[in-house]
Amino acid sequence: MHPSDGTLRRSLDEPLAADATSRAHVASCARCAERLQRMSADAATVQAMLASSDPVVDVAAARSRLAGSEAAGAGATTPRSAKPLRPRNARTSRVLAGVAVAGLASVLLVATGAAQDFLSLFSPTQLAAVPVTAADVRSLAGLTSYGTVSGGPKIAYQAEPDAAAAAAAAGISAPVVGDLPAGTPPAAKFAVISGGVVAFTFNADLARAAAVRAGGQLPAMPAGLEGSTLSVLISPAVVISYGVDPAALLHGGTLPTGEALVVVASRVPMVTSTGVTARQLEDYLLSVPGIPAGVASEVRAIGDPSQTIPVPIPVDLATGSTVSINGAPGLLIGDSTGLGSAVVWQHNGVVYAVAGTLTSNQVLGIARTTH
Amino acid sequence: MVEFSAIPAFGRQLLTGISRPAEVGVRPTSFDRLFDEEYAKVAAIARRVLGDPDAAEDVAQEVFLDLHRRFGDSPGAQAVAWVRTAAAHAALNVIRGNRRRAVREERYATDSPPAYDPQAAVEAAETTRAVRAALARIPERHATILALRYSGLSYAEMASALGIGVNAVGTRLRRAEARFRKEVGDAPV
Repeated sequence: MHPSDGTLRRSLDEPLAADATSRAHVASCARCAERLQRMSADAATVQAMLASSDPVVDVAAARSRLAGSEAAGAGATTPRSAKPLRPRNARTSRVLAGVAVAGLASVLLVATGAAQDFLSLFSPTQLAAVPVTAADVRSLAGLTSYGTVSGGPKIAYQAEPDAAAAAAAAGISAPVVGDLPAGTPPAAKFAVISGGVVAFTFNADLARAAAVRAGGQLPAMPAGLEGSTLSVLISPAVVISYGVDPAALLHGGTLPTGEALVVVASRVPMVTSTGVTARQLEDYLLSVPGIPAGVASEVRAIGDPSQTIPVPIPVDLATGSTVSINGAPGLLIGDSTGLGSAVVWQHNGVVYAVAGTLTSNQVLGIARTTH
Repeated sequence: MVEFSAIPAFGRQLLTGISRPAEVGVRPTSFDRLFDEEYAKVAAIARRVLGDPDAAEDVAQEVFLDLHRRFGDSPGAQAVAWVRTAAAHAALNVIRGNRRRAVREERYATDSPPAYDPQAAVEAAETTRAVRAALARIPERHATILALRYSGLSYAEMASALGIGVNAVGTRLRRAEARFRKEVGDAPV
């Protein structure tokens, strides 16, 4: 049966919301594929037309202004159709679900190159936290506003019977997971996430249009920029999971409500470029109007982008801090709710990550005994 | 081997999902905390409708003034949904008022548009005008959901703000996008 318009539309933004049956149907139904394409085109048009950077607000000044208005007895307009306030239902299961994916998000984003929008600009040997909001992520996802993205990611997930098989499939040594805290589900699942090559080619016409939409103009371009291509080779990743099946998550399965732990290892992505260097292209893109100012300044502050992975940290909940994992530089991502955390580090050309519904000390303990 | 091509969307969904205090039970209850946590979002929603950051902040101020007038220092957990919807409605009120005023002014206008703007700025201004005009013409429920969606709310947050089921959000959003696109025409932007 064809899924409803509402279900199809939501699947564009939140793919996990559609059940496996719907996804399988859409994948094989020409009519639904056409509907989806039409919806996607409409959504892209609307997004482009409504695109504008979020206003930079000074909350303290705004609060003073509000206090002044109240003191002056200024009348407020009444927003129409505003609903009366009512108690909110408890969402305990969503709490657990949100936290369970918290660590996974960062791990998958880093280790699989899922956030091609971030990684495609950098050749990483160091790690640094970039606090991002949902709006920032969407803005960076708009790389297609500045050029064409090709070659991926057509990423495949393959379950493997054991660590050795996963390691052989990924072409790296499988990490030997260290001391697990009591309560960790004992049965580990092994898998490999395939890699691939993602290429971004800069297009001045597209970038100019994006700059205009953002209310600015395209800065002067360095020589050789037009048509420059940046290629990122993303290596396969070994995934070892406890208490959660990443494949099931990716295909709409339920999120765990108990202890969950994921360990990932992948060679660092490699970046090559034609035309201009990766650094030049990154510098230029960060200067184009429309890139969130906060993200741009954070990325610039990191330093040489050819040496550093900017790890996106959700600004609302998580905090990032640098740590040492047996002498190797790492990044600890703590969920401020205290219910989940992750650590990412790089050693000998391999990026490792440990994430779970654990405390920061627990993930650090696992990381420091993993080799 | 199971293949999937939605990894970037998946990653973003996870990232946006964990960026939502709404989903982890962290809800502000005091007015001050709500103001600190939601003021920027309310201004962002208004900006999607108005295009202008200063006008958007004016709307944000109105919304919080009204909230405080109605509910005092302890507006309750549902206040987040309330201020977000109110931001969209208040901003739409502004452009509808502007549209009526613009029609009146156009009737008496004699001057040509300023000629000093570079072409790009002129095009941007035209796009901005077309977007505001379209938002003012389409049904309010459609304009509201577009403002909420494109200022970054998740489907769960939109469902909460609009008081509808999460499944109905997709349906309404789809209709709103189709209607909006029809209003602005199919010209590439």
